[in-house]
Amino acid sequence: MTKQISYAASGAASGASSERAPKLAIANRGEVAVRIILAAQELGLTTVLLHSEVDTGTRAYRMADEKVCIGPATTADSYLRIDRNIEGALAAGATMVHPGFGFLSENADFAQACVDAGLIFVGPKAETIRALGDKISAKALIEKANVPTVPGYAGKDQTIETLTKECDRIGYPVIVKAAAGGGGRGMKVIGSRAEASELISSAQREAKSAFGSAIVFLEKYLDHAKHIEFQVFGDFTGRCVHLFERECTVQRRHQKIVEESLSPSLTPELRTEMARAAVGLAEKAGYQGAGTVEFLVQDGEYYFLEMNTRLQVEHPVTEMVLGVDLVKAQILTAMKAFRIWKQAELVPRGHAIECRVYAEDSYNRGLPSTGELLGLHWPEGPGRRYEVGFEAGDEVTSYYDPMIAKVIVWDEDRPRAIRKMLRTLDDSVIFGVKANLPYLKAILTHPDFLDGTMTTQFISKYFPEGLEARELSGAQTAFAAVAAAGAGGANSHGASGSALRAGSDALSAPWSAGWRFV
Amino acid sequence: MNPLKVIEVEFEGRLVKGYAVQKNGVLWMHAEGETWTAETGRARKGGGKSKAGSSANPGEILAPMPGKIIKISAPVGQAVAKGDVVMVMEAMKMEYTLKAAVAGVVSEIKCAAGDQVPLGALLAKLDVKT
Repeated sequence: MTKQISYAASGAASGASSERAPKLAIANRGEVAVRIILAAQELGLTTVLLHSEVDTGTRAYRMADEKVCIGPATTADSYLRIDRNIEGALAAGATMVHPGFGFLSENADFAQACVDAGLIFVGPKAETIRALGDKISAKALIEKANVPTVPGYAGKDQTIETLTKECDRIGYPVIVKAAAGGGGRGMKVIGSRAEASELISSAQREAKSAFGSAIVFLEKYLDHAKHIEFQVFGDFTGRCVHLFERECTVQRRHQKIVEESLSPSLTPELRTEMARAAVGLAEKAGYQGAGTVEFLVQDGEYYFLEMNTRLQVEHPVTEMVLGVDLVKAQILTAMKAFRIWKQAELVPRGHAIECRVYAEDSYNRGLPSTGELLGLHWPEGPGRRYEVGFEAGDEVTSYYDPMIAKVIVWDEDRPRAIRKMLRTLDDSVIFGVKANLPYLKAILTHPDFLDGTMTTQFISKYFPEGLEARELSGAQTAFAAVAAAGAGGANSHGASGSALRAGSDALSAPWSAGWRFV
Repeated sequence: MNPLKVIEVEFEGRLVKGYAVQKNGVLWMHAEGETWTAETGRARKGGGKSKAGSSANPGEILAPMPGKIIKISAPVGQAVAKGDVVMVMEAMKMEYTLKAAVAGVVSEIKCAAGDQVPLGALLAKLDVKT
């Protein structure tokens, strides 16, 4: 224990290398835990997964060198517990903690608790998180930096009465958001005074349950905006660069679904101006590590939305167009072993798209689907990348975010990248839970997406209830006949690998009326 | 490594390749870029199970997914218009509002805030205005 503290006090990994090898604890789960483990293993670090009781059946658990259980399934009793994460990391002899995204990644108290315990926190300093991660103080900071913001209310008075009055003042539609949040949790659009109090209290409850704080703020809701964010990165010397932008306009209930880099919507002039604003903010904040400055863009104007003081879910599209590894860069920066790229070295090439694969019913309002993953198939190919936290046999539970995987593609230009993504999604197989693959393909082939003119209203405008039920094609009907014949008669020794011909009598088999797309 | 069963079917002179897995009376199939299921008839009889989250009776509110009831917005006796929020539930860290499909008066609430409810559970009944 004494050694740990003296190690942290020395401040530099190099200074401690003779005493003990750096060991990275991961305070997260799912695909991001896998991503961090892969980066750490490449760097020769031993990894420790801090996991809940139910997460022993996950890919990250199988991959981590060591594991420490930090509590039961409920996030409030495990992944959101600062004390248990710290105890777990110390018990395993970790020297560093990577928080991933979500959970404690933007919690300044956690960052501080790591430092106090002698652990290196992979991310910005606690005071930076406090200043930027809390959206209310971030807004004040960016106003000082002279970056335009959306009109709103970010006051301390959190009574329903005051908040409703402020909604009236701002003018509807108004959006209510969790001050400590992100990822769509604790966010609601209020269309009129009649629904204000119901939606505000709902947002407060979601905020409390997801982030442990019920504080919300209000903003004028821009109704044909684009969501465009800049990746920034600061090194341990205080120098900051930007890694261009991502467009994450396709969102449902403020949860991103499809992201791309670069944005098809920015003029070179606007890109330059927004990049300068993003880097300016990061530098003013003394930013260290990976961060993202989010903007809304409407009618050629841009408005600061929030700064996320962590890795983003959609970081792979940036990595693909720039040829960088943001997670490795984060870890090395925390170890004071990496002076970041020169701005001029960062030249994007081609186009990258990410699709978030969620366990949900594309044909029924996107309702969540849970259960055992009976089979998964992610076919490799040039320019295809999968970030997956599950393997066949693992279970998708209702305890956590319903994301099964992220599918990322890169190609020379946007139309080609879209075509590659469509083929990649066609080739991807998920059995056991319903997944949103059909929904993603409908998005990618919509005219507004194809020409890049979609706005944040895209989903609610075109796909509010999910997709319409469809018919099986002739080939699929024939396929189903053979599959059912194999399954019904002799499940255990089926028609593996051998081509069977579908007979016409099979088409009238009893199963034929009961199929449904998932 | 991968438990998926590969199936190849000849259809109109070409080879259709796909995958299938069966478990608990449900056959999962994937071919030509799409996934679909069929009940194989061994585990369940009667079909029609696919609509577990919606009721044929518009005066009944069923749980559209497993989750936790967060709040009852319209107590027994309250008149509701079509689209009014009757209760709020949470699943996978998101809140969902359950709304009246028709105008009526709430006649029964079969759950309480804090209850964990399964998919398809009857949560509330409305006396439908006629």
